Amino acid sequence: MPKSADLLPGTLDMLILKAISLEQLHGYGVLLRIKQISGGALEIPQGSLYPALYRLEHQGLIASEWGQSQNNRRAKYYTLTSIGRHRLREETAGWNRLAIAMTAALNTAPGEI
Amino acid sequence: MFRGFRSLFRALKARQDFEQGMTEELRSHIERHTDDLIRSGVSPEEAARQAQIEFGGINTVQEQCRESRWLHPFDELGRQTRYAARLLRKTPGFTITGLVTLAVCLGANLTIFAVIDSVLLRPLPFPHADRLVTMFNSYPKAGVERDGSSITNYYERRGRIPAFEGLALYRFATAIVGDAGATEREQIALVSPDFFPTLGVDLRMGRNFSEDETSVQTDRVVILTDRYWREQFAADTQVIGRQIRMNGVPDTVIGVLPPDFRFLSSQAKLYFPYSSRPEQRLPSERHSGGNSRQLIARLRPGATLSQAQAQIDAQNATLEADDPQAKMMADAGFRTVVAPLHADHVAEVRPTLLLLQAGSLTLLLIGAVNLINLLLIRANGRAKEMALRQALGASRLHVVSEVIVETTLLTLAGGALGLAAGAAGIRLLAVFGADRLPLGSQIAFNMRMAGVAFLGAAVLGLALALPVAWFALHGHLAAAIQSESRGGTASRAAQRLRHGFVVAQIALAFVLLAGAGLLGLSLERAMSVSPGFRPDHVLTGQISLPRSAYRNGAARLAFNAALLREVARQPGVSGVGVVNNVPLSGNSGKSSATVKGHVDRPGESARGNYSYGVDGDYFAAMGFSLREGRFLNAGDSRRTDRVCVVDEDFAHYYWPGESALGQRLFDGLAATDDSQAFTVVGVVGAVKQAGLTDDVAQGAVYYPYSSRSDDSLFVVVRTTLPPESLGLALQKVVRQIDPQLPISDVRSMDARIGDSLAAQRSPAVLAALFSLIAVLLTAVGTYGVLSYAVALRRGEIGVRMALGALPRQIRAQFLTLALRLLTAGLVLGVAGALLAGRAMRTLLFHVAPMHLPVLAGTAAAVALVSFLACLVPSHRAARISPMEGLSHRQ
Repeated sequence: MPKSADLLPGTLDMLILKAISLEQLHGYGVLLRIKQISGGALEIPQGSLYPALYRLEHQGLIASEWGQSQNNRRAKYYTLTSIGRHRLREETAGWNRLAIAMTAALNTAPGEI
Repeated sequence: MFRGFRSLFRALKARQDFEQGMTEELRSHIERHTDDLIRSGVSPEEAARQAQIEFGGINTVQEQCRESRWLHPFDELGRQTRYAARLLRKTPGFTITGLVTLAVCLGANLTIFAVIDSVLLRPLPFPHADRLVTMFNSYPKAGVERDGSSITNYYERRGRIPAFEGLALYRFATAIVGDAGATEREQIALVSPDFFPTLGVDLRMGRNFSEDETSVQTDRVVILTDRYWREQFAADTQVIGRQIRMNGVPDTVIGVLPPDFRFLSSQAKLYFPYSSRPEQRLPSERHSGGNSRQLIARLRPGATLSQAQAQIDAQNATLEADDPQAKMMADAGFRTVVAPLHADHVAEVRPTLLLLQAGSLTLLLIGAVNLINLLLIRANGRAKEMALRQALGASRLHVVSEVIVETTLLTLAGGALGLAAGAAGIRLLAVFGADRLPLGSQIAFNMRMAGVAFLGAAVLGLALALPVAWFALHGHLAAAIQSESRGGTASRAAQRLRHGFVVAQIALAFVLLAGAGLLGLSLERAMSVSPGFRPDHVLTGQISLPRSAYRNGAARLAFNAALLREVARQPGVSGVGVVNNVPLSGNSGKSSATVKGHVDRPGESARGNYSYGVDGDYFAAMGFSLREGRFLNAGDSRRTDRVCVVDEDFAHYYWPGESALGQRLFDGLAATDDSQAFTVVGVVGAVKQAGLTDDVAQGAVYYPYSSRSDDSLFVVVRTTLPPESLGLALQKVVRQIDPQLPISDVRSMDARIGDSLAAQRSPAVLAALFSLIAVLLTAVGTYGVLSYAVALRRGEIGVRMALGALPRQIRAQFLTLALRLLTAGLVLGVAGALLAGRAMRTLLFHVAPMHLPVLAGTAAAVALVSFLACLVPSHRAARISPMEGLSHRQ
C-alpha cells in the first residue's frame, strides 16, 4: 500500500467533483473512485464525505437522484451539474498554477538564485 | 391562511423526506463497506464493527449533513422552543400571570384596533376612495358651522369645477314602502344621476338614473340595494321593470346595486333619483342647504384638495358678485369647505378613538413592564446557571436566542389568548354602541386583526427579551458564580432596573387613572346638565307623512288634530303635542329669523337659530318652563293671526332688557310684508337642542305647526304611567287613524338623553375599565418586585435580627423603599397626566385638563393600592427569624 497523503484543506470538494465528473456515482462509489484515481494515495475520512456531498448539492454543483445499483440495491446517485463542471474546470486550472508554482519554488537550488 | 398551512406542511414533509433519505444513504454506505470487507476475508461481525468505526459517529455525520443544508438553525429553534416550553411549564404561577396579563392587555388593544381599523384606517369601499371629497357651506359668524349644500350649489358647480371628475348630490330620508296594509318604513336615499359614477360603482344589473328622471314629474324609478332585492324579490333576475309602491305611488325598478355596495354609514335600502322643481334650482335658493342635502365629488387624478378648494372659492366669489344676499352672507362668514369624504365622515369620533387606543397602549406598556420585571426576577434566579453555561462556552448568540425564544413563546401564546379576548371584546363593544359609530357596522373580527395580533405578539416578545438578554450577558460572570447567596454585584444593576420599571408602572397607571377621572367627571357634569325641560314621563315617537297622501298643510293639520284627540283619550295621558323635531334627536336644523326693527350692530350678521313648528300642547307635554306670556296651543295653528313663541336666549339677544311680548319677526332672511310677520306671544326657557354638552345659546323660535309643517313629525306624550308602557297604545292609535302609517323610533325622552350621552359615556366607561386593570397590574408588579427584594435579603435580614434589629426597623426599611418608588412614580405620573389632560382637552366637558381634585384623588388611589401591595412583603420581612440568617448561608 502506497504511503497515503493528508488532504489539504479545500481539496476534498475538488476531488469529489472530479470523481463525479468521470461517471455518476453513489457516495460509497465516490470514496472508492477517489482512492483509485489517486493511486491509493488519498484516502478520505468516511465521515466527512457526506457533509461535503450535501454541501455541494446545496450549492447546486452536483445533483442527486435515487436509482438501482448493479446488485439491485437502491442507491442515491450523484451527477455533476453544469455549474459544477464549470467550477471543476476553474479549480483544476487554479490548482495546476499553484502546483507548478509550488514545485518550481520548492525545487529551487541555492545556485539558481 | 390555508396557503400558510400548506407551505408549512410541505416544509415539514420535505424535512421528513430529507431525514429518511439521509438515513438510508448512510446505512447503505456502511452496508456496502461491510460487504467489501467480508469479500476481502474479514469475518462478518468484525466487518460490521470495522465499517462502523471507519465511518465514525453516525449522529455526528448526520448533524454535519444537516448543517450543510442549513437545517441546523431550525433544529436549534425547535430544541430551544421545547426547552422554553418546559421551563414555562415548570413555573405555572409565572406563566399563568404572564398569559393573563398578555391576554387582557393585547385583547384590549386588539378590540380598540378593530374599531380604529374599520372606522379610521380601512379606505371606503370604492376605487381610489382617497380621491372622494365632500363639501358643505359654512356660516361661522351666524353660528352655523355646517349647513350642507343646496340644490342650486349642485347645478351651479356640476361640470364647472375643473378639479372634479364627478359631482353628485344626495339626501337620506325615510319613506313608506309597500302596498296598503303591508307598509314598512324604510331608509332611502335620493341621489343625482352622477352619484354612482362618482363613487365608481357599477350596477349589478339594469341601468343608472338618467338626467330626465331628475324632474318631479318623471322621477318614478328606483334602484334596489342587493339586500332589498334579496329580501323583497328573492333575488329575482327578472326584477327590472317590476314596481314598488313608495309613499303609495308605484315606482319602476330600473337597477340593482352590487352586493358589497355600502355608502358611508347609510342604511338606505332603496335609491331614488334626486328630483327637483326648476324653482328649487334658482340662484335665490343658493343658501337654502340644510344639513340633509350633501355633495360629494371625485377629484380628477392629480388634482389636489386645495386646488378644488381654490376653484370653489373662486366660483363662489363670482356668483356672489350679483347676489342680493351677498352682503349678508359675507357678514355671516360664508364659505364652502371642501374636505376628504372619509376623514370628514369620521372626524367627530377620531379623537375619542385615538384616545382610547392610546389608553389601551398604555395598558399594554404597564403589562409589558410587569412581565419584564417578572422575567428579570426569574432570570436573576438563573443568573448562576447562565454564568456557568457561558463560562463553559455557550455562545452569546445562544444565550440571547434562548431568552428570545422563551419570551416570544410566551407572548405568542398570550397573543392567541388576546385574540380570543379581542373577539369577545368586539361583541362587548356593541353594548357601548360601537356599531352606531360612523362606519361602525363594519367592525368585525377578521384576518387583519389576527395579523396584527401575531405581529404585536412577536414584537412584544423581542421587546421583553431585550432587558433580560442584556442582564444575562452583562451579569459579571465570576461574581455570579462565586457568590453563594443569590445576590451579587450582578443583581444590583438588575435591581435598579426593576425598581425603575416599578416607578414607570406607577406613573403610567397614574396617567390612565387620571385620564379616566377627567372623562368620568366630564360625563358626570354632562349628566347633571339640565336639558331645560322635564324629560321624565315623556314618550316620543316619529311619524312620516307621505307627500302623496298628505299633500298640503291642511291635510297634515287634520291628521294632527285626530292624533292629538285620540292620544289624549288614552289612560294616563296628561298632555300631548306635536313638533317637527324633538330636542337631542341629533338632527335639529337651524334656520334664520329676521326681527322687525332690529338694526344690525357693527360686525353682526344674520344668526342661525333653531326653528320648530308645534301643535297641540307641545310645551306642556315636553315640560318647558314659561318665562313670559303664554305657550302656543292647537288653536294657534287653526287661526289666521300669526303668532310665535321664542326662547329666552333669543329674547335676550334681540330685546335685551325689554319684554319680548308683542315684538314681531319674520321666518326667513328678509323682512317681507308686515302681514307675514309673527307676533311673539310667549317666552319659554331655553332647552338643550343638539346635545347636553352643547354650550352655545343659539336661540329658538317656535311657530304654529300650520306655518312650518313638514313630512315628518314627532308626537310627544306626557303620562302619569311609566312612559314605555304607552308605546303599544300609541302605535294602535296611529294605525287607527291611517293604517298606512307606521310610527317609529318610539322612545322616552330619558332614553334619548341617555343615548345622546353615549359619546361621553362609552369612552369614560372604557377608560375606567382600562385604568382599573392598570392599577391592578401595578399592584401585582409592585408586590412582585418588593417580595423579591425581601426574598433576596432574607439572609442579611436574619443576621441583622440576630444582631438585635427590631422588626419594625426592618419593616420601615422596606416601606421606605416602597415610599421612594411611589413618590418617584407619582411625580412622573402627575407630569404625564398633565400632558395627557392637555391632549384630551377637546373631549372634556366643563373640566379643566389640570384638575386638582382629580389629580389628588388619583394620587390617593394609586398610593393606597401600591402601599397595600408593599405592606405584605414588608410585613413578611419583619417576621424573618434570626435563625434564617444563619441557615440561609448554606
